[in-house]
Amino acid sequence: MTASTVIFYILSAFAIANGFLAVTTRKIFRAAIFLLFSLIGVAGLYLWMSYEFIFAVQVIVYVGGIVVLIIFSIFLTQQAGEDMPMVLRGRQLFAGLASLAGFILAWLLVRDYPFAELRGTSSGEAPIAEIGTKMLDTGTGGMALPFEVVSILLLSAMVGCIVIALKTRKA
Amino acid sequence: MTLKTYFSNIFSTIRSLLKGMRRTGYYFTHHKEIITQQYPEYKPPLPERFRGEVVMPHNADNEHKCTGCTACELACPNGTIKIVTKQEINAAGKKKKALDTFVYHLELCTMCNLCIVACPTDAIEMAQSFEHSVFDRNSLIKTLNEPGSKLEEGIE
Amino acid sequence: MALFLEFVIAGLLCIGLFAILGLVLVLMERKVSAYMQIRLGPNRVGPKGALQTLADTLKLLSKEGLTPRGADRFLFNLAPFVAMIGTMLLLAPIPFAKGFQLWDINIGVLYISAVSSLAVISILLAGWASNNKYSLLGAMRSGAQIVSYELSAGLSIIAIVVLTGSLSISDIIASQADGWWIFKGHLPVWIAFVTFIIAVTAETNRAPFDLAEAESELTAGFHTEYSGMKFALFFLAEYINIFIVCAIGAILFFGGWMPFHIGNWEGFNRIMDYIPSSVWFFGKTFFLIFVIMWFRWTFPRLRIDQLLNLEWKYLLPISMVNVLLITLVAILGWHF
Repeated sequence: MTASTVIFYILSAFAIANGFLAVTTRKIFRAAIFLLFSLIGVAGLYLWMSYEFIFAVQVIVYVGGIVVLIIFSIFLTQQAGEDMPMVLRGRQLFAGLASLAGFILAWLLVRDYPFAELRGTSSGEAPIAEIGTKMLDTGTGGMALPFEVVSILLLSAMVGCIVIALKTRKA
Repeated sequence: MTLKTYFSNIFSTIRSLLKGMRRTGYYFTHHKEIITQQYPEYKPPLPERFRGEVVMPHNADNEHKCTGCTACELACPNGTIKIVTKQEINAAGKKKKALDTFVYHLELCTMCNLCIVACPTDAIEMAQSFEHSVFDRNSLIKTLNEPGSKLEEGIE
Repeated sequence: MALFLEFVIAGLLCIGLFAILGLVLVLMERKVSAYMQIRLGPNRVGPKGALQTLADTLKLLSKEGLTPRGADRFLFNLAPFVAMIGTMLLLAPIPFAKGFQLWDINIGVLYISAVSSLAVISILLAGWASNNKYSLLGAMRSGAQIVSYELSAGLSIIAIVVLTGSLSISDIIASQADGWWIFKGHLPVWIAFVTFIIAVTAETNRAPFDLAEAESELTAGFHTEYSGMKFALFFLAEYINIFIVCAIGAILFFGGWMPFHIGNWEGFNRIMDYIPSSVWFFGKTFFLIFVIMWFRWTFPRLRIDQLLNLEWKYLLPISMVNVLLITLVAILGWHF
């Protein structure tokens, strides 16, 4: 077992343990923080694979964006430091079944994926300039269409926000 | 807001910010203007009417002017002064009230000067000392008349 | 084994740099503020007060670390370490001298702007876990502030990335061998520089943008409840953050460790090369730190609405237009 493997297991254990804590803790703010650590663990895995661009994007989007947004909404809505009520037994059962189903699906996919053949073929991360060019490329393999579709989605979300914000003012 | 006011706002803001920075920059580079006084080495001259604590001046023969009349004790709003008197037989063989101890509680004093105004014989006055900090509160209770001191001749 | 030794040496150097920078910057802040307010500043401990911050550190070390009742104990104790770790990670890609860089990552400035978003998490953690309304208010304010000013800081970094065509910090410095961007890039780079300085001042929660820790209204905001060494960690992280953003500013606009060269004055350039590159780097960085301190001791604090107005109505539109201008300059090759 090389040092690299050890680091991989540590990072994976960190991500999984924090993910598990995020769903089992009764304090909602702690859940958000454990989620954050789980996401950082995943970012660490990207870094371990030396996919640095993906690592930075993961940190910017999830740590700097999503988790901060979640924390803000907790600040603005929840009672400070109170435990969440216990979830109903029936719901617990079905949540467990759903996650089990998800795990089985993922496991089946991972089992049948030809990792061994791919090992060593990838030459690491593509240069950033290439990623950028591909992003706006309209030719084959170009990402211009998804890129623009995502832009339109975000634009509509922003317009929606402005409309909601304007409505309260009129009343 | 028109485009013109938008930009003129920006420029006037930058100008006023730079003005402020020029002032602090001037102070930063001109150390002559520093107004800090290095206190224990340099003690600034105190104004004449500065009141630091109540003292009782004694002359060379260890004599004071206090008759023990307790006018100051009555005048004090905080009960800072306690005067203990004793009976003394003077030269003429008459019994007379005289000062035994003049107890002054510095920790209660507000330096209001009312005791000095009330004193009929000008026996006490305000001193300019102000470094009064001590480790024990009890050492702020002072006896103002020197041990063995007497009333000055001719003071009634 | 050699790799392990390298790790140990790098780690020790990082921690040493942290400690020394903390001491030096706090002392510098106090001296600068004193002279700007026509005072003398600390001058009792050591020659001219040089050991004052050492004495302060000893005091903080000997203080009791309190945890308030009703606080979330785990998160409360975690927050200062998150602040510290986030700051330490930022040191990795900074070149302190020619060829003296821990990790020449090819996404340098992107890495910096990604990892610096950890700072806001530590502030939000501290604010929530303290179970104190001042802390919570401070944390909310600082969250809103950092999230919004990250935009214009990012856009002004992008301005230089557009001119250089690379995210790597060593490439950005190498592109300034024949002149720093602040001289080569005309007005757009100046606008980017001013935006950058304003945005990072806000991001590091310094006056005039110190709403998160406004002493007079929030009694120090998110670190109200922290004492002793835990407070010292926040304090240290704050000052190291200032150093790091100023270092980034020096790298992007003043060429990092690149000496000052003028066109083809061979003699002059030769003389400039004799000054060690680390002196150039630290000189530029400390100049920017001084400018930020100058801001702090000159300008009054902004209100929260003024703060958000400044970002969303002025800095963000201006820097967006500026990025377009820079792109035009870069495409047409108008820079020198």
